[in-house]
This record gives sequence, structure tokens and C-alpha cells, in this order.
Amino acid sequence: MPMLIESERQAIRQKLTTAISQKKTEDVVLLARELVRSGKSSDIQYCASAFSNVAVELAAQNGFKKLKTFVVRSVTVEPILPFLKVEAGLAGYILDFEIGGYGSYMDEMLNPQSELNTSRAELVLVLLDMEEISGRLPVLCADGRGVGVEQEIVESVGRVGQMLRSYRARNAGRLVVQGCVVPHLTSLGPVGEGLLKYGLVNAVKQLNRLLLELCGSISDCVFFDIDEVAARYGRIAWRDQRLFLSSRLPISTAAFGAYAAALVRTICPLFRAPRKVLCTDLDNTLWGGVLGEEGPHGIVTGNAFPGNCYLEYQKYLTGLAARGVLLAIVSKNNHTEVEEAFQLRSADLALELDAFVAKKIGWNEKAEAIKELATELSLGLDSFVFVDDSPVECAAIRRYLPEVAVVELPGDKPWEFVKTLADQWFFDSLAITDDDINRQKEYEAQAQRNALLTNADSKEEFLKSLSIVCTFIDAVDAPLARSVQLLAKTNQFNLTTRRRTSAEVERFAEAPGGQAVAVRVRDRFGDAGVVGLVLAAQEGDRCVIDSLLLSCRVIGRGIETALLACVAERAVRMGLRWLIGEYIESKKNAPCKSFYPEHGFEREPRRSGEDSVIYRLDLRERIPAKPSWLTVEGDITYELAANTTGAL
Amino acid sequence: MSSQQIPPALCDIIADTLEISREEITSDLSAESTETWDSFRHLQLILSIEDEYGVQFDPQRIPELTTVARIEEALQQKGAKLR
Repeated sequence: MPMLIESERQAIRQKLTTAISQKKTEDVVLLARELVRSGKSSDIQYCASAFSNVAVELAAQNGFKKLKTFVVRSVTVEPILPFLKVEAGLAGYILDFEIGGYGSYMDEMLNPQSELNTSRAELVLVLLDMEEISGRLPVLCADGRGVGVEQEIVESVGRVGQMLRSYRARNAGRLVVQGCVVPHLTSLGPVGEGLLKYGLVNAVKQLNRLLLELCGSISDCVFFDIDEVAARYGRIAWRDQRLFLSSRLPISTAAFGAYAAALVRTICPLFRAPRKVLCTDLDNTLWGGVLGEEGPHGIVTGNAFPGNCYLEYQKYLTGLAARGVLLAIVSKNNHTEVEEAFQLRSADLALELDAFVAKKIGWNEKAEAIKELATELSLGLDSFVFVDDSPVECAAIRRYLPEVAVVELPGDKPWEFVKTLADQWFFDSLAITDDDINRQKEYEAQAQRNALLTNADSKEEFLKSLSIVCTFIDAVDAPLARSVQLLAKTNQFNLTTRRRTSAEVERFAEAPGGQAVAVRVRDRFGDAGVVGLVLAAQEGDRCVIDSLLLSCRVIGRGIETALLACVAERAVRMGLRWLIGEYIESKKNAPCKSFYPEHGFEREPRRSGEDSVIYRLDLRERIPAKPSWLTVEGDITYELAANTTGAL
Repeated sequence: MSSQQIPPALCDIIADTLEISREEITSDLSAESTETWDSFRHLQLILSIEDEYGVQFDPQRIPELTTVARIEEALQQKGAKLR
């Protein structure tokens, strides 16, 4: 985007001032997005104050998430904070910072009484410099012989691990751990240093690899690969020795923006589920030219320029599909012509028509097509990304379906398609689970089920014919990442919408009388994977259900009832009398509003609030049973003996 | 002295960084007399000024630049175009 000229800049600042005073939050965000283009640090500070000024309104009206953020650090971060606040603001987060002391990072992490350990921070940024993580490394690497280098790296990572685990044992805040930037001021220069097996460059790369592994072994902990960010920016310009040596500022002023953007991009997937579906246009997007005018042999795609630009875009889509992003076509074309084009030009295309789980090819409005897709795939509109080269089509989607993310490709520069898409954050995810990878097959199976339902005489007959098998497993072994993913992204059938962390799931599993059960579902068409979860705690003679949720793909097949029956069965075996359920209304969870009453629960008016309704069921009178058409596998009472203290 | 004598860009930076109004900014304004002008804001302020005028101050001088007058003087010494 072009830089702002001074008069534009002043005009935006004035409008921003007005928007702040009138608390027009949407304008504040839009104007801030404009103003940061100036790249001036005073404008960034102004935008940071703007977000702070309307923080309350942004949270209340625009769904911004406020995050109590603690920074554990050994370097100066204060001048970077406004940049972080602005990047976070543009991504829908309000970072409320608390900063630890320079020299006290070890104490913050290890001491139970430290400010960090008593802060109840939701997000903890661990920003240490290499001097603190592995101060001896430069000396050990100096002679290039490598004596003691491996050991120093292992010990350094061990020390960091001890700090992180000590924090994790007491707190549930999400951890972001920054790695080290590979130093460029080395004795041997860029080529010689890199060739030296035990030189500092390779030692720090190894250190970062081990830190990455370490973070993967700790729940809700993500590694921030600052070296990759610095390398893309240019390591030489990344650090300003003048400011590092005089003020312990680890990053040059010019790189503040790049650093903040990368750090916020690392934070986002900790709190937000990635989008799931990419809807692509065909003409001048998937291929060059207009199929209806040029015919299948006239469209541009293949190994030669400019066809290879489109081929690159197609390859990028196959990469996304491999990670579990569903591909769909939304195009104004004739269906038969598109089929013909995919057939005749298959040698010049990187993907087949079958790679798309859904195709909306016709002459209806694209907004309608996307809404139909959402229904067919049982996904919310906020799971969709729409990619098109036409500004008119893009504007229409932005207007009619604001939840859908729109990527407008520069139609006249097809070589920029991949970059335009890669710059977006919405497919970022921290973990790729088996369920992500199998998602496409599952949606194909869904289509077959729908066909069967159309032919079945009754719903029950249909459900019987599916031969559904539910397997109950410990939510900690689901694996845990999948359980947390479900908690993070399930909206429609989610009774309380509590976004529990992995540490919290573990706590439910380990507490006496606690339950953390996941359900895996398969039927004759395929394996849907782990799709449901329940968390419960024992309180006296009551089994209190904290969370109960089911992926919307499998709602309405009795699996929700089986899940409830499982918790009830376990509560009965523990000798508990009451099963307590709660419904907290959200914008999206109306489908499960009457779940508890439908299963014989009565309302507890005394305990219900405005947003939350509490239900109870006397297990001596009634125990929910699983529907007859379901087969249940797995021992739902596993490890029950060890887990129970018995009812009082 | 009135705020008109302070270059507008410098005035913007000081106001944004210290979160004070432009009217308060005179050559006499100093860290001592301004509550929000603490050591971290000071670093932030100096970095923003360096960024705006494309200059780099000697780190040993940075702690001394605690009044608007001294900042202006240092900028002039570096040959920055203030107006």
C-alpha cells in the first residue's frame, strides 16, 4: 500500500480524534488501520492510545477480547508495547500489559508468590535474550571445536523447561516463548560461520530447534520463532547495536512493526480457531481468462508464463487442503463446461475437480451460494474464506456476509496471488490433528449420508442404517490437543461455551470424582474422529457438568444423548445422586437450548441467573440412556476406582 | 514561550508519547515537570524523534535530552530540518 502524504495523515488523525471522542469504535479501527500505514512511530503511539481509550466499548460492542498479558523479560520492551497494542487491536484483541523486572524473570517463573504467579494472566510472553538463555554459548563456540557445546544447549533448554513447567504447574495462562535470533556479528562472517558445525550460528539454530520441541511438550505453550522473522526481515537490520548496548533494546526501531506483527500472529491462534473452508472463484482466479468466452483450451494455466502463476495458486490450495482446509468452488459458470475444462486441461492443472468438497457453479449470487455451503457443511459463516479477483463480487460478500473473510486477488498481477493469500492469518493453527487431515473425507461421507436420509422412510430407520459406533476415551488422550481444539471452536452445540485450556482439561481429569471424557464416532461411511467432549466435577453428592459439546457435523444422531448417558452412568457408579447441567446462552448455541429439559432435567430457579440456567436431574429417579441405534465401545468407567472418593 | 515556536512534527511526537495536549508543550517542558515523562517514555520519545528526523543521537547524550529546548538544540546540531 502507498505511504500516506502529510495532509492525508493529518486528516486521518483528526477524524480519529473525533471517532474516539464519539466512541465510534468501528471508525476507530478503520482509521487506525489507515493511519498505521504512515509507519511513523508517533502515529503508532496515537493509535495505541486510541485503542486504549475505547477498549471498553470495543470489548462490549465489537467482540474484542481483552487479554491480561504478563511479559517476562530480560530486555527492554517498553518502546515496542504500543506497536504490539496496535497490531493486537487490528486483530481484535486488547492487550492489558503487566511487565516483569529485568533481572527477576527467573523468580517470576519459579516463585509461587511472584507477581506473575499471582497475576492470573491469560497470556504470558517469555522474552529472553540469548545472553540469559545460554550465556556461555558464544565462548564455547569460539574455537570451533565444539567441546561442551551440545551439553550447554541441552542444559540451557533444561533450565527454560524448568521455568515453564514450574509456571504451568500453578497456572493456566497461555505461554508464548520467544527463541533466539541467530547472531550475525560472528568472528567468521556469514559463510565461514555457517560451515562450522560447532560455530555459534549452528549452535543457536540447534538451540531454537530444542526450544521448539520443549514448547510442544508443555500444554498451551507456543514457540515464537523470532529468528525466522528476523531472517525474513534481514538479521543485520534487525538489531541496532547502539540501542542494544546502551538500553538493552533487542530490536532496531525500524523492525518494531515487523516484530509486533509476528508476535501477534503467534498469539492469535492460541485464542481463535482457524477458518475451515476456502471458496475460490474460477475465471481469472483459479485459471486465467473466462471459460465461457475462451473455452476449455483458451483458459490460461500450465507450466509456461503466465499460466504458471495460476498453477502456483492451485498448488498453494492443495497445500492448504493437505492441512485440512476444505476447498470449494464458488463460480458463475456452466457446470458442464467446468467439468469439461477440468477433464481436458487436467495436465495443466495442479488439482482435480474432486479436490473440491463442494461446488457452487451456476448463476446465482455468490452470497447465496456461500450460505448454502454453510448449511450443507454444517459450518458457521465465520469458518469461510472467499477468494475472488472481482472487486464487485468481493464487495458484495463483505456487505452481505460480513463474517466471511474476503481475499481480493489483484487480477492483473497473477504472480501476486499466492503472496496475497499467504499474508493472511486466518488459516494459522498451532496443531494439526488427525481430525484436520481427515476432514475432507468426512465431508464426503456427509454427502453420502444426506443421500441416504433422503431415501429413508423415517429418521430412526435412517439412523439405524448408519451403524453408528461411539467410543468413549479419556479427553486427555483424545489427544489433548484435539480436546482443546473442540473446546475452542465448537459453537452451536456447546452448552456453556467455556474455552477451557489443556491445563484445565487435565485438572478435570485428575480431580477426585472429576470427568473429562471425549467421544470418537464412526459409521458405515467413515470415521468422524473425536467430535464430542464433556467435563464434569464432583461437588458432594452432585456431579456438575462444566462443559458438554458436540461438533455440529454430528448433531442430531443421538450422540449427544450417549455423551450425557456416559457421564450419568459414571456419576451413578460413584454413588452420586444429582446430575447438574448448565446452559449459558451465546449468540450461536440456540440448537442446544432445550437439551437438558428434553432429557428430563428440571430447572433450578434458585440458582439460575440471567444468562445462565441451571438444571438438575435426580439420578435415583431417572438415568439417561443411550439411544438404541448406537453402539458404544470403550470402557466408560475406565480408571473410575482410582478417580473416586465416593459420595458423601 | 508559546507552542508556535516548537516545530509541529516535534510537537505531535511529544504530545502522542507523553499523552499530553499540544498547548502544554513549550521549550521549557521537561521530564522533571512532566509526570508522564518517565525513563521508558523518554526512550520511546527519543526513538520516535530519531525516526521522524532521520538522526541518531549518541547514547551518552540521550539521558541529558530531558527538556524540549535541549532536544531542539540536539536536533539542530545533527543538522535536522526542523521547519
